[in-house]
Amino acid sequence: MTQVSEGSYIGQNVPRSDGHAKVTGAMVYPSDVIVPGMMYGALLRSPYPHAEILSVDTTEAEKMGAVCLTYKDIEPIKYNERSVSIPAATYRDRTVLPDKARHFGEPLMAVAADTQELAYRAVRAIKVEYKVLPAVFEPEEAMKDGAPQLYDKIYLGDEEVAVHNNIGVIRNISEGDCEAGFAKADRIFQESFELGRIYHNQMETKCAVVKPEPDGSITVWATAQSIHANRQLLGRVLGMPLSRINVIKLPFGGAFGSSIQVNTVTPICAYLALKAGRPVKLVSAREEDFYSHQKYPAKFTVKMGVTNDGLITAAHVTALVDFGAHQVQPLPFLGCTAGWFASLYKYEGNIRFDGTAVYTNKTPCCAMQGYGNPQINFAIESMIDIISNEMGFSPVDLRLKNYRGVGDEFWGQGPTIRSIIKSCGVEQSLVEGRQMTDFDHRERPDTKTGDVRRGLGLARGFHCSGTGGPKEGEVIDYSSALVKINEDGSVDLLTPVTDHGGGTWDALRKICAEVLQVPLDLVGLSPAGTMQIGYDVCTHATRGVYCGGAAVYHVAMKVKEKLLEVAGRLMAEHAYNLEVVRSDGLHQGVVQVKDFPAKSMTIGDIAKQAQNMSWGTIAYTDSYRQRNCPPCFTTHFVEVEVDMRTGVITVPKVLIFGDCGNPMNPDLVKGQLVGSFNRGFGYTVFEQLPTNEATGELANKGLLVDYKTPSAMEMPPIKDVEVILCDTYEPTGPFGAKGIGEAALASVQAAISNAVYNAIGIRFHKLPLTPEAVLAAIREREAQSAGATPS
Amino acid sequence: MNTKHIMKEYDYLKPSGLDEALQILSEKEKVKIYAGGTDLIVKLKMETVPDMDYMMDINGIEELKQVEYTDEGVRIGANRKLWDIETDQRMTSLFPALTDAVKAMAAISVRNLASIGGNFCNASPVADAVGPVMCYGGTLEIASARGVRKVPAKDFFLAPGVTVLEKDEMLTGIFIPTPKGDVGHAFTKMARTKSDIAKLSLCVALARDGGRIGHIAMSMGAVAARPLFLEEISAGLAGKEMSESLAMETGEAVSGFLQPIDDNRTTAVYRKDVTKTMVADALALAWARSGGA
Repeated sequence: MTQVSEGSYIGQNVPRSDGHAKVTGAMVYPSDVIVPGMMYGALLRSPYPHAEILSVDTTEAEKMGAVCLTYKDIEPIKYNERSVSIPAATYRDRTVLPDKARHFGEPLMAVAADTQELAYRAVRAIKVEYKVLPAVFEPEEAMKDGAPQLYDKIYLGDEEVAVHNNIGVIRNISEGDCEAGFAKADRIFQESFELGRIYHNQMETKCAVVKPEPDGSITVWATAQSIHANRQLLGRVLGMPLSRINVIKLPFGGAFGSSIQVNTVTPICAYLALKAGRPVKLVSAREEDFYSHQKYPAKFTVKMGVTNDGLITAAHVTALVDFGAHQVQPLPFLGCTAGWFASLYKYEGNIRFDGTAVYTNKTPCCAMQGYGNPQINFAIESMIDIISNEMGFSPVDLRLKNYRGVGDEFWGQGPTIRSIIKSCGVEQSLVEGRQMTDFDHRERPDTKTGDVRRGLGLARGFHCSGTGGPKEGEVIDYSSALVKINEDGSVDLLTPVTDHGGGTWDALRKICAEVLQVPLDLVGLSPAGTMQIGYDVCTHATRGVYCGGAAVYHVAMKVKEKLLEVAGRLMAEHAYNLEVVRSDGLHQGVVQVKDFPAKSMTIGDIAKQAQNMSWGTIAYTDSYRQRNCPPCFTTHFVEVEVDMRTGVITVPKVLIFGDCGNPMNPDLVKGQLVGSFNRGFGYTVFEQLPTNEATGELANKGLLVDYKTPSAMEMPPIKDVEVILCDTYEPTGPFGAKGIGEAALASVQAAISNAVYNAIGIRFHKLPLTPEAVLAAIREREAQSAGATPS
Repeated sequence: MNTKHIMKEYDYLKPSGLDEALQILSEKEKVKIYAGGTDLIVKLKMETVPDMDYMMDINGIEELKQVEYTDEGVRIGANRKLWDIETDQRMTSLFPALTDAVKAMAAISVRNLASIGGNFCNASPVADAVGPVMCYGGTLEIASARGVRKVPAKDFFLAPGVTVLEKDEMLTGIFIPTPKGDVGHAFTKMARTKSDIAKLSLCVALARDGGRIGHIAMSMGAVAARPLFLEEISAGLAGKEMSESLAMETGEAVSGFLQPIDDNRTTAVYRKDVTKTMVADALALAWARSGGA
């Protein structure tokens, strides 16, 4: 797509248009929505990890004035909350409310009452008789014969499939010839890695407000990464035509992937509202939200073959994933995990991936900033570090020799979505980072002494920008936009694309302003609902700017075509002889004759004249699919300090390279990279979600006080956090842009762990590296060396 | 559990003077005192306050918020807010371990609300401000309609959440004597993050006698069922010549003495291990601060 014009907003730091409203509290998020006559919902959540519901008595709750909803009130339509994959690649195992509890904290019944307090009291007045069933929490246990079974049968598309030994999905992918690749290698390495569950901890908990309208339709305000996904699922479970469901797009307090699926609370809220005949608002408390969604854990075994000159000749990954009590799409999760693995290095084309995903009586897992990428990246980038150390390679050179770059195939989003890499910041990141950190002169860990030891580590990663490709695959990917020119030269932009807080909406406005050459403040972002605008799959897969922006670009170009045609008629010129330029002096876009700018009209005059002539509004709407899936790359150089006496890891300094193509707003890109470093530091060193296996409850009971994430106090000083954006331009992106959001997290974990190895010479295969885990490893090594040395 | 609402019903009382408050305590059953609410409100939401029919808000009682310095020491009103204590320059110069402990507690917004008396009466084994008061030889002033009694801070705690307070009594003030001589103090804390509850906390207050330790008091938090005053180990150090090896031996001794537990914050093994380093470091720090070489 075309280059940016001189003086373009693209690539410039422009203050966020929503910044003032957000910091002053004026912005309306889903949980701020208040509708006259609204009732408040509350959920009865399972006190057991696995139980049959034998009987329910809602009499007392109803006497209190509550409207009660149980599985008896709902149509038992089976669905998957996540709908970005095509139906034939989607397993369905759940209903709006179940007749069997499959994890602690699972919503079983719901009430609506005039106040939220009354709703919570009414929940307690519901009498439920349970038959408690044995539960299973670990995937290895769940797969054993005789283990408690969560399901007998589920559906894949419309086909009924039996579930054996709780195995939800098996996905094996093989390319090239792994056996031959390993045979060619001089050394074979095999290691295992384990990453536990963590919680998204998005600022706003899951929320929905549903209002039945006088005409029989419903209006929905919900935490949603995709308004259309919400509408389509509601239409299905409520048996309503989509034309009666308007899901309104709102800013929401972050998601990190946890609202790609339709949140569990949303269909429940809709059923409550329809049963009550009144609007209902259902907001999760934080300790409920912990049981709504968690990041996929993973256990990997990685085998790699390497020649003495540093060529990786084959790689084989086995993955075991416990995804909890419902499928929020472990099938594409395994496909993506394979894709991230396969697309990091060339492996001479010899790869094998054996993935198994298993039901357990735990909270369902869903995407969380990377969809398997941070997990497998930790394993692969730790392996690269291990191989470098064992074989004496420079970790920079080993990566430079084997990475996939321009001209290579990338299939991060799974084997069905493949495209060729056209822009790549890997070389710049590795070469500049090596110099800036003096990486080649790192001291070896065995030369370090003292109570506090410093280490320098490196890892690289990426994410896709969207899930498009030359051919359609398992994942739906396109977006829509509507652009119209108003009679004063301002522009209305209507987009279904949601903004998680990364500034996507301003980026889309910039793209529209750049195409039509109008001042940015004249591009208004219209309120959008599913009734007003075409489909967008979801703001997920780091696709907001690259795919959503491409739709805006495509539609704005059509509008520009119409504008020039209308201008041509008014100015007695051929449209092809006209161009648009922005006039900051007139504060207008201007159509002028090429090479003869004296003959010109403002866009406002053109639109007004067209109106006077009754020619109609200059507007266009369409959908657009990106036909590529370019990777956005990141590289992290991290310095750590490890206290040998306490096991405490701190990060004094970090250097981050981000390759997002042409950045829409560089400061926001940098902000995402710094924020994601914080998240990755939490994932690597702080966060864990152990289950109390006696009760099935989380050990922290869903309380943030016992779920620690690093604050600004734990971060390196801001002067020691350096972010460099690579000088790249993605030819298929809107004005050269790719994504960044999920890439920003991918390599943080391995970089920190590799730095810890460089500091103390201990390799960690399991996250998190808590002080307890680090100190235990230090003590174990001391005990070993004491045992090895005769005293 | 539901952290959005307090599901319990209770009456709210706000006495305007201490006598009225003590009268309420003597007349009514099941009264809980609200000072900063940073523990009480949390517990109410978590439904771990079974016996409460009345919430008595003592923020209308000015005398409970006062601080008073004399030659003998300082008397801190039980409802003095942590923020007012940590920003008190005189407090910092006289009792640095106390202000260090307060600064290590929670976030500023919490410290603006929370009172020092609440940190005692909540009787958590983790309470950070308790150790320094014990080590400085502090005394608690306990009042009821029947009169006033004084209890050494180290004798105040009986079990988690349980103190020597009778049902009609309240903590009204904390007296800490001014340390005399070449004194050095240290408060250190290990926590998951900066504004977190302690995995471990430690306080050392010593008076130097030339090259020897004169008087010394040590305490630890988060290692036992109540704030732990290390009376015997401390007594054994008095009169000993200070050295690096003494500091390390003491760390080993304290670690060996502890019987901590695993909880959500850390493990027993970690607590015992890190105690060695913490004690040795804090002892050395307090010694250096006392002017010792």
